Amino acid sequence: MLSYTLRKLLYFIPVVWGVVTAVFILLTVVPGDPARLLMGQRGDPETLARIRADLGLDLPLHRQYIRFIGDLARGDLGTSYRNNEKVSTAIAERFGATLRLAFWAMILASVIGVAAGILSAVKQYSLFDYSAMFIAVAGVSAPVFWVGLLLLLIFAYGLRLLPGVGYGDGSWRYLILPVITLGTRPAALIARLTRSCMLDVMNQDYIRTARSKGLAERTVILKHAFKNALVPVNTIIGTQVAELLSGAVLTETIFAWPGVGRLAVEALVARDFPMIRGTVIFMALLFLATNLLVDLSYGLVDPRIRYD
Amino acid sequence: MKKSLRTLCRLLLLFALFSAMPSASGETLPLSGGVLRWRDVGDPPKLDPAGPGDTSSGRGIYLMFETLVENAPDGERLLPRLAESWEGSEGGRVWTFHLRKGVRFHSTIRGRPSANGGREALAADWKYSFERLVRTKSPRAYFVDMIQGYKDFAEEKASEWTGIKVVDEHTIRFELDYAFAPFVSILAYNAFVVVPREDAERPGADFSFNPVGTGPFILEKWEHDQRLVYTRNPDFWMRDAHGSSLPYLDGVEIVIIPDDTIAYEEFKKGNIDVLPELPDEFYADAKQRFGDLLQGRPMLGVYYVGFNCAKPPFKDNRTLRKALNYAVNKQAMSDYLLEGRYAPSRGVLPPGVPGYSPDLEGYEYSPETARKMLAEAGIREGFQIELVVNNNLRHRTVAEGLQGLLAEFGIDLRVSVVDWGVHLDLVDRGETQMYRMSWIADYADPDNFLYVLFYSENRGVKGNYSYYSNDRVDELLVAARVETDFDKRMALYREAERIIVDDAPWMFLFYYTTSLLGGERVKDMRLPLFGQHATPLEAVWIAR
Repeated sequence: MLSYTLRKLLYFIPVVWGVVTAVFILLTVVPGDPARLLMGQRGDPETLARIRADLGLDLPLHRQYIRFIGDLARGDLGTSYRNNEKVSTAIAERFGATLRLAFWAMILASVIGVAAGILSAVKQYSLFDYSAMFIAVAGVSAPVFWVGLLLLLIFAYGLRLLPGVGYGDGSWRYLILPVITLGTRPAALIARLTRSCMLDVMNQDYIRTARSKGLAERTVILKHAFKNALVPVNTIIGTQVAELLSGAVLTETIFAWPGVGRLAVEALVARDFPMIRGTVIFMALLFLATNLLVDLSYGLVDPRIRYD
Repeated sequence: MKKSLRTLCRLLLLFALFSAMPSASGETLPLSGGVLRWRDVGDPPKLDPAGPGDTSSGRGIYLMFETLVENAPDGERLLPRLAESWEGSEGGRVWTFHLRKGVRFHSTIRGRPSANGGREALAADWKYSFERLVRTKSPRAYFVDMIQGYKDFAEEKASEWTGIKVVDEHTIRFELDYAFAPFVSILAYNAFVVVPREDAERPGADFSFNPVGTGPFILEKWEHDQRLVYTRNPDFWMRDAHGSSLPYLDGVEIVIIPDDTIAYEEFKKGNIDVLPELPDEFYADAKQRFGDLLQGRPMLGVYYVGFNCAKPPFKDNRTLRKALNYAVNKQAMSDYLLEGRYAPSRGVLPPGVPGYSPDLEGYEYSPETARKMLAEAGIREGFQIELVVNNNLRHRTVAEGLQGLLAEFGIDLRVSVVDWGVHLDLVDRGETQMYRMSWIADYADPDNFLYVLFYSENRGVKGNYSYYSNDRVDELLVAARVETDFDKRMALYREAERIIVDDAPWMFLFYYTTSLLGGERVKDMRLPLFGQHATPLEAVWIAR
């Protein structure tokens, strides 16, 4: 397992290099000069040239690339064009809020999704099954901004049970609506996948054997069926975690949540190249790390899986 | 015990009555205290006055920094701010400013002592602040490139800006290369403020995040993408008419809410006190619900569609440009698409700018004239032109409106929507046929409209995106820049504007407006001509 982990970590290097290079090339191809945006609506060409020189944008592309890779190798993600803030500081400041939101959204999604999926499979074609799957389809289809606005209009501005938007000094009351908004889609996906995996497993011979041995239905479902259905469910949970961590842009925007997603979008609009590169590299690393953890967890879920 | 409680209640009641009581003259005396919560859409990029001059940063800069002079609310004249008085000499080539005494820099920043220790702002600080704009490559430094020695200092050939002279502790002098009539007006722009060297150069504390000025409020806390908290500057120099110290407010909190719908709901719920620049979609509802609390006024800005005069089909085709101006019903567009919030424009200069011509004819909607002129210009059914707009609901709405109106004349207007960065690139290089643009003044002077937007040497990035060129207009604009007689200057600008309107390098659409929705408890808040972000808050108070 150790050598597998090390091997996987080594794979990170070409993947991150590929992402970094692709982002660098894309940003140079996309029209829109960051120096021009910094200058405002009008300016004089001399000042524009000085700003470009200051940002290193007057250098030939290959020299810009070498400088960028060199800084990156030293762990320096650069400094924002827009406000001179260190990119690593900006990401670190906001990642806490994103992590908190993503963590609780994923807990909510996993608990509700897995429970609903198992119950739907066990009570196939029942009213519960139909209702749960109808809600799951709606949950997958409903746009995040719509769910967020609806929740706010009902619970914050209509019934006034919860606060509206913002981080609220970390109070849990501010967390409830964004967590539900962000967790709805993954919960629906997990529920649908858990149901289909469970139905698959429930038709296997070893389940019939377990039942014929006289095991309690609860033991059959949780210990024999669910454990075997868990591998694909685990995969989807891992993918969703990576997606949520890399920035739930819409949820963060609607709820004025100070996270990494908003930081990335604002950087894109402002052509803040160092910030765009920094957030993309950060997101790529998050995806890779989450995938590695998911891979490693397979062995814990199913001892037959080997890492040779 | 009971008695003392009763006495306390009486005292509190008396205090409450007196504090909101009309004074002997009948006016209601303002109350001190309270925090004003003001909505913004995002984190300000920079709170350094050397920054790019966007409205988010501008809101913070107006709270913390001060200029030598400021615009009167009507924009028609200049008022003293940190300069008590000023005079021009040598035919307007030299300007001397006498500074207000006892003005102190903020003694704290973000909850810790500032490096300057709350010392007095002196003439040497003003020289340093102007030089700093150039050293930090501020995109606004070139506004004052007529001060002697600018070029050498900007190109690092000189160690100081020679045209700025410290006469004594409280007197500063600017020597210009030539008599530049709008010079003092430019100094009201919020980049030209005083900052203390000790804090601007404090190691490990970027000035953008630790800004220190002399203004009514001090930055106390900045929680990125959430809120900025400003507290009252206890050493602020300004007093009200009764001698009470200003500002009245204990603080201002800028609350960041990116989504407009949510921001409006937060206002209705009372979670924020001020909602600036109300989006069009909520305008009718807000007007009905809040009445006079919704303030709106024309501001120093114009909204237009530019024709590229250096490219077909508009090059050397004044008839076509004029025909399109006659083909558009601006009043109907404003009424039906923009909630009637914009007044149709007749020319370039909006009301409030000196030199504004109320009697300018402009282009009244006239389908017959438009058809006639289109025929003269040889335009046939199905004629295609492209309009480039930057991505924004209001701009897209206007573009779609124009599409519909021009279709009546058989013109197929293709609309391309691009983001702001791309838009600027395209118009700078003159790569569009038609483009949407607006212009909001940096200073209240016709020079800031006509010279910037129509002088032939300003083609491209400097502001003349229509690539317009007219020798007579150039001549008038250059003459007006150095004319020191106010009436003669205005006459030159009026003539230039008349020629420009007749040449029709733009489709003149609307005068810009600004709006602000304030809560019922917010008192004495008045929208200035320069837009909501410049709203002065030192005399604003909160009723309780």
